[in-house]
Amino acid sequence: MTPVANPSLEWLRLAPALAPVVGLLLVLLVDALWPKQRGLHVAIGAFSLAAGASAAVPGALSTADAPVLSLCVPGGLDGACLWSAGPIASTLQIGVLASTLAVLLLMLDRDRGDAVDVVLLLGAAAGGVAVAASRDLGTWLVTLELATIPIVALVALRGAGRAVHAATTLLMTSLLSFALLVVGVALWLTATSDPSFSEVSVRAAWADPTTRPVLAVAAIALIAGLAFKLSLVPFHAWTPIAWGEGPIPVTTLLASTSKLAATAALIVVLEPFAALVGARPGPHAVAFVLGALAIASMVVGTVVAFRQHDVVRLLAWSTLAQGGWVVLPLAALTAAGARAASAYALVYAAAVIVAFAAASTLPSRRLTAYTGLIRTHPHVGLPLAFALLTFAGLPPGVLGLVAKVAAMRAPAQVGLWPLSVLAVAGVVLGIAVYARWLAVLVASPVPGGAEGSDGEPFDVGRGAMAVLAIGTALLLVASVLPNVLFGLLG
Amino acid sequence: MALIVLVGLPLLVGAVLVVAGRALADRVSRGLALAAVLVALGVGIGASWTRPSFDVAWLPELGLRLHLALDGVSVPLVLLTVVVGVLVVVLARDSMPEGGSPATVLGCLLLVEGGALATFAARDAVLFFVAFEVVLIPMWVLITRFGDPHDLRARREAGHRFLLYTVIGSTLMLIGILVLVTSAGTSDFSELLSAGAELPRGRQLTIALLLTVGLAVKVPVFPLHTWLPSAHTIAPTVGSVLLAAILLKMGTYGLVRLPLASVPEGFAVIAPWLAIAGVVGIIWGALVCLVERDLKRLIAYSSVAHMGFVVLGIASGTEIGLQAALYGNLAHGVISALLFVVVGGLKSRWGSVDLGRVLPALREVAPHRGFFLILGLAAALGLPGLAGFWGEFFAIVAAWQPADLADIAVMRTCAVVAAIGGLLAAAYSLRVANLLWIGDAHPVEWSLDEEMEDSISSSSDHSTDAGRGAGAGAGSGSRELSTEVETSGGERLVLLVLSAGIFGLGLMPWWAMDVMAPSIQSLIGVRP
Repeated sequence: MTPVANPSLEWLRLAPALAPVVGLLLVLLVDALWPKQRGLHVAIGAFSLAAGASAAVPGALSTADAPVLSLCVPGGLDGACLWSAGPIASTLQIGVLASTLAVLLLMLDRDRGDAVDVVLLLGAAAGGVAVAASRDLGTWLVTLELATIPIVALVALRGAGRAVHAATTLLMTSLLSFALLVVGVALWLTATSDPSFSEVSVRAAWADPTTRPVLAVAAIALIAGLAFKLSLVPFHAWTPIAWGEGPIPVTTLLASTSKLAATAALIVVLEPFAALVGARPGPHAVAFVLGALAIASMVVGTVVAFRQHDVVRLLAWSTLAQGGWVVLPLAALTAAGARAASAYALVYAAAVIVAFAAASTLPSRRLTAYTGLIRTHPHVGLPLAFALLTFAGLPPGVLGLVAKVAAMRAPAQVGLWPLSVLAVAGVVLGIAVYARWLAVLVASPVPGGAEGSDGEPFDVGRGAMAVLAIGTALLLVASVLPNVLFGLLG
Repeated sequence: MALIVLVGLPLLVGAVLVVAGRALADRVSRGLALAAVLVALGVGIGASWTRPSFDVAWLPELGLRLHLALDGVSVPLVLLTVVVGVLVVVLARDSMPEGGSPATVLGCLLLVEGGALATFAARDAVLFFVAFEVVLIPMWVLITRFGDPHDLRARREAGHRFLLYTVIGSTLMLIGILVLVTSAGTSDFSELLSAGAELPRGRQLTIALLLTVGLAVKVPVFPLHTWLPSAHTIAPTVGSVLLAAILLKMGTYGLVRLPLASVPEGFAVIAPWLAIAGVVGIIWGALVCLVERDLKRLIAYSSVAHMGFVVLGIASGTEIGLQAALYGNLAHGVISALLFVVVGGLKSRWGSVDLGRVLPALREVAPHRGFFLILGLAAALGLPGLAGFWGEFFAIVAAWQPADLADIAVMRTCAVVAAIGGLLAAAYSLRVANLLWIGDAHPVEWSLDEEMEDSISSSSDHSTDAGRGAGAGAGSGSRELSTEVETSGGERLVLLVLSAGIFGLGLMPWWAMDVMAPSIQSLIGVRP
């Protein structure tokens, strides 16, 4: 028996993350051999994303007790594996890969999707997939950054002055967030003397009064670092700038893929705390920070979104509130909370992709340009209306409603129902925001409305059409049979 | 299976009509809608007889079941809903609101009907909430898109107010349901009867407060009623009818089903407060009705007053009180639907129904419409022999002898005040009859009011703009209102059916009471 065993390595189990990496290398290779083959790059990218998503299906169908494990260290601390993809992590991985695929399709309409774009997209996707399954501090930190940095480049690429400004803001934010995460990781290591997120060491560290505050501060620093990526108040300042100035496909990436990756990373951090629920003293500080972030984001995000006249900015501010909804169930620190949070994040990602696909077809971003869209262009207006109703959580957007019910249920289950009462403000303000847009959609059409004042034609590209159709179909099916989604999450 | 058809068919056809919009020919969409409501009527009557039940897991992860069944409390409301569903589609044949495609209007009507049927048939608390929310968006579209064509801003404001108020209410109710379901460990209504009653008193009180405040918005109970008048005033006639006849019923039904039945101890603590809010609503609504000029708004306020009686009956907590409440609920659905059809027809021809103007005497220019108006007003003031009488009479009787003797002083005071409110109802009904049916009376109190002169000139402009229906007489620039306001074919049919309902409910109260009695006893029977 060797004293230091190499971790086990099962290629197929790592395929969700490896497929985009292989795709990335292939694109680089193809670009070196036959430059300017845009179609080929996009095809390779799409294929590797789809392959990764299908490789994650076994994990999504597994149970929480028997996750898909790999990179296990024999004889390591409690048999730790560096890769552990249970139902929640795997379903989020599928969400990350599918949303990246949607972004790729949207890029096609914009004459983007060359080798650099595809490589950056695949890099971000690989990072997001890996962070969901990572269980050790090092991998978690590195893959989380891998999911972030390519997006900075995508915002800046081929952009004019304002886009560079947006990219700089995003970069500064990412650095700040990285600093907080590093501090958090260091404190975590100090408190638990274990380089992984495991229940055993968290319980031990919490039981010891000297390490307990260190662990609490570590968790709060990690939450704060991730709050930047989830655009939670007060860590949100970059969001309207980066969203508003970047091209729509990249904004879609920030809204969906990036948010799913951050949610997955947060769940990895908070999962071990489930062992402390009911302990004395309980992890109240962590729950309080999460609850406060959630409520503040809901209120600030919706109030500011209500005043916006530019739809991308409206979505940018309302994503603060939606991030709050993702974090609200996590405040319960239970497995049910993690399920509800991932369900909410996935529903939001699907709806926001549909909304941005619709927005990308209109030449103008002014709210007034949407007047009467349901009647003039029902194939864009109806999916957009459905996405907005899903955000608002009103039937026929039943999926959004069910996700909200699940999100409010998790805190209520552990006696935190006053938090849900505060969330009522979030529900009502959110509905006011989306109803304002809906009222414009269903109003009587005005001459030249959707075409914009400059008379630019209304052009629905094939990529946007495909995203609209598939996204709406997914939302519809899951509205009728919500357990398609909730079943995957275990 | 019958229940799935009953609930699913209107929802499905409604969704198809809304999505199809102008792609469908007018005749096709009207035929489709009529077929759907007629099938729903048939299935609804059959299901009320056979009382089938349907139960499958819908979302096992949240413990959510698709559990539908009918009992004595829901059967009368289901019947009311399917009948009103047919009536609004028939009504929409003649007076289709303008502003969009007829298919959208019909689709929204069907979606509201399906949502209401799902609410009344749901036997699972969380499913009840989901069904409760289904009606919001179609109703909102009816108000904002198809409401009063004169005032876009008011339309939007009324729609938003309706949506936001009811969402505040239903979200509070959702939290109440979630706390109830997680504490009691079940979301099935019949299991909650015993599981909820066993919860500690403090927890019961929390749940009852959340549920009651949430549902009180929908009912609406004073002081949470302010969304109702604007919604009613702006909504097209078919929307007002649905709102009054069906949507408000969902609130009172929820009050009986959730706080009263599931957390009886907690509800008993807040019942006196609910009773006080109810009688304040009776007096407040009646006083507003004595001075209100807009007739649609007046009827909306009289709804607040009538719902006060219903709430008083519920608050008494006795079997008689619940009988009175559910019966009054049903009666109000029929009466207010009739009044809104009568007044909505006038509004679509005149542009507004302003009682401050000189109005042509309906008894002369439109004897049929005049008769229906008088019938509706008589029923609304609680004349014995008509539908409104039993609910109000027994609500006062029940409040005189409440279940909880500790509150007897409060409840008896409420009973007396409610009786006074009943007298005020007579006063405002006679006021309306005097101004509109006898007519030609110059409303002295406003005759020199400049603001009124403005409103006359502006609304006669409107009637020329609108210039629809039988609006031939609305001469350009003339201050005379059209006298051609007699009921048209479809309208008359609807009014006849509703009148039959008013007489039927008034003369044969035992029919509905016998259906409801066993279920009411089981709802309050398990009390300690």
